[in-house]
Amino acid sequence: MRLLLIEDEKKVADFVARGLRAERFAVDVAGDGPGALEMVAACEYDLVILDLMLPGISGSEVLNRIRRGRKEVPVLILTARDGMAEKVAHFEAGADDYLTKPFAFAELVVRVKALLRRGPVNRSSVLRVGDLELDRLTQQVKRAGKRIELTAKEYGLLEYLVANAGRVFSRTMIIEHVWDQSFEGLTNIVDVYVRHLRAKVDDPFPTKLIHTVRGVGYSVSDQPET
Amino acid sequence: MNTRSLRFQLVAWYAGLLTACFALIGAVTYVVLQNYLVSALKENQMRRARQIGQLLLEEVQHHGEGQIGDEIESRYAPSLNDRFVRITRSDGTVLYVSQAPKEGKFSPADLPAAVPAAGGEAARQILLVNGRKMLLTSRAVRAPGGAVYEVETGAPMDEVQADLRQWLLFLVSGLPVAAIIAVVGGSLLVKRALSPVDKIAASAERISSQNLGERLPVPPTGDELQRLSLALNHMIERLDQAFQYSRRFVADASHELRTPMTVLRGEIESFVEEPRMPAEWRERLGSALEEVERLANIVEGLFAISRLDAGEAQAEWVRFDLGQLAAATADQMFLLAEDKRIALSCSAPNGVWVEGDRARLKQVVVNLLDNAIKYTAEGGKVALTVSALDSKAVLEVADNGIGIPSEALPRIFDRFFRVDKARSRDQGGAGLGLSIVKSICAAHHGRVEASSTPGQGSRFRVELPLAPAEEQVGTPRRGVRPARLGEPSLPQQRNAS
Repeated sequence: MRLLLIEDEKKVADFVARGLRAERFAVDVAGDGPGALEMVAACEYDLVILDLMLPGISGSEVLNRIRRGRKEVPVLILTARDGMAEKVAHFEAGADDYLTKPFAFAELVVRVKALLRRGPVNRSSVLRVGDLELDRLTQQVKRAGKRIELTAKEYGLLEYLVANAGRVFSRTMIIEHVWDQSFEGLTNIVDVYVRHLRAKVDDPFPTKLIHTVRGVGYSVSDQPET
Repeated sequence: MNTRSLRFQLVAWYAGLLTACFALIGAVTYVVLQNYLVSALKENQMRRARQIGQLLLEEVQHHGEGQIGDEIESRYAPSLNDRFVRITRSDGTVLYVSQAPKEGKFSPADLPAAVPAAGGEAARQILLVNGRKMLLTSRAVRAPGGAVYEVETGAPMDEVQADLRQWLLFLVSGLPVAAIIAVVGGSLLVKRALSPVDKIAASAERISSQNLGERLPVPPTGDELQRLSLALNHMIERLDQAFQYSRRFVADASHELRTPMTVLRGEIESFVEEPRMPAEWRERLGSALEEVERLANIVEGLFAISRLDAGEAQAEWVRFDLGQLAAATADQMFLLAEDKRIALSCSAPNGVWVEGDRARLKQVVVNLLDNAIKYTAEGGKVALTVSALDSKAVLEVADNGIGIPSEALPRIFDRFFRVDKARSRDQGGAGLGLSIVKSICAAHHGRVEASSTPGQGSRFRVELPLAPAEEQVGTPRRGVRPARLGEPSLPQQRNAS
């Protein structure tokens, strides 16, 4: 999988490229619009990550030219603006997804994988982590074969974590996915729900699946905490 | 009546000046009229004296001195006309004196003896014993024989005085009438002239930081008031620019802060995810990451407020049921309250329709409930109520928590204001939640206010305009919906990509 990262802020480009390489992607980096367009023309990329604030040719213009060249490549936009109108405009111009700075790296990886139709976009209806089993169709949760009753919100939270097992999610990311933008900044609600979830999913069992990563958030994994 | 108002002062000055002018003109005409009447009478008498002098010369020449009396009586009949005639020879002999007039206005005997006129002709006013005034003229007539006669004519000044009195009466009775006309006319004029000022004041009253785009009406009159409205409009424009500048500054600043925060966050995250990282280091980096997230939240909040205040932040503008939104939000917050053993009650009838951005107004409910739960002790109560009152939708969140000190109450919606700095920072607050609530309410043409009794609880009241009635399917249910607490049976949100 070959990705093109178009980002003029060298430090942002560095850590994003480093992180994506750690996820075993091949990453090329372009620092400006003209260079990026040359690379898009020269190479078949599986995904383009595009920063909107570029010197020379703006990100929007780069997006337009990629689309005019009839490139079907998925484009994920990074931006420091998050106006609704802008968001709509970019989707109309052919962006496939959208991330606002400062984003959590884990969030970027989730979106990249979703756009590449692999990883978390696990289409099978049953998800498994250790002895935990989660059926997306019936919304039933079992652990060690035993049925666990969850409320709708608890189920939504658990499904999000299990679908991306091994990944650490910040409270803000969890809020955005499981609640909605109105709850932004209300991170303690995540802690309360995770506590309730643990009481049902982890407490009766010797192996703990839900992990707290201090400062970052939560993850579900059957690997013991380091 | 406000005696310091421009209206009162203008009318008072106008009426005063007009009345004074009237009085002055009256006084001047009085004096002029008096002079005119007196000189006319004098002129008249002089002419008479000359005629009689002429007659005397003719008589003396043809018939001698004896016939003169009869001749005067037959020609002028002075006693019938209230006139006085006397002819005195230079040796003091009175040749003729008219009889006393019938009405007895004067008695010829009372009049002083003739005084030789210095320049041949003279006039003087004489005060009679009965208090009346008399005008006497005398003329020296020299006969061809060498004899010199003094011809005197006279008239009482009553007529002049009567005319003057009448004029004075007219003036005195006219003055109050003029004053009344001045007051009435003046107030009409002033009212007309000042009515644009009232309009300008009323328009200026409506303009606040929320609608600085509006301008005052400019009357196309070309007068000072047009200049005033234009000047005020320019001032509003400068204010608007200053506000826009400060909003743009906040927007630009939060924008510029995002890139360094992205780098900071990304770098620290990559360390935290590093498996070889010692646990203690990871702990410290996690703490740093927490601060970065908080910084991001603050920047996000500031950015949201600046956009809301600029009127740009509504993603949608739809008609929706505030009661339903509030009840659904309370459902979602229930666990948060339960965690602190706080009883969260919700009384939100369906059918309280408002217009706006649902996500933003939901944020209002979330922030107010979160705030109430945060500052209410374990085992306390938080009540959410929604009602329709007159043309307003009212949403209230009341708690029996620690309350807000009265000195802090006016500043509770200010950015970064915290009642108890140390404690609320522990709670993870950036001090922007209530500012965002206020900005959202203002952007929806509503308002929010807080009241509190320290130690007993606080109450936040949001007022929004009710949406205009629309094609309603059936009658809206007004009954109080029983609070549906616990977990929602709503279609759950699952947008894990």
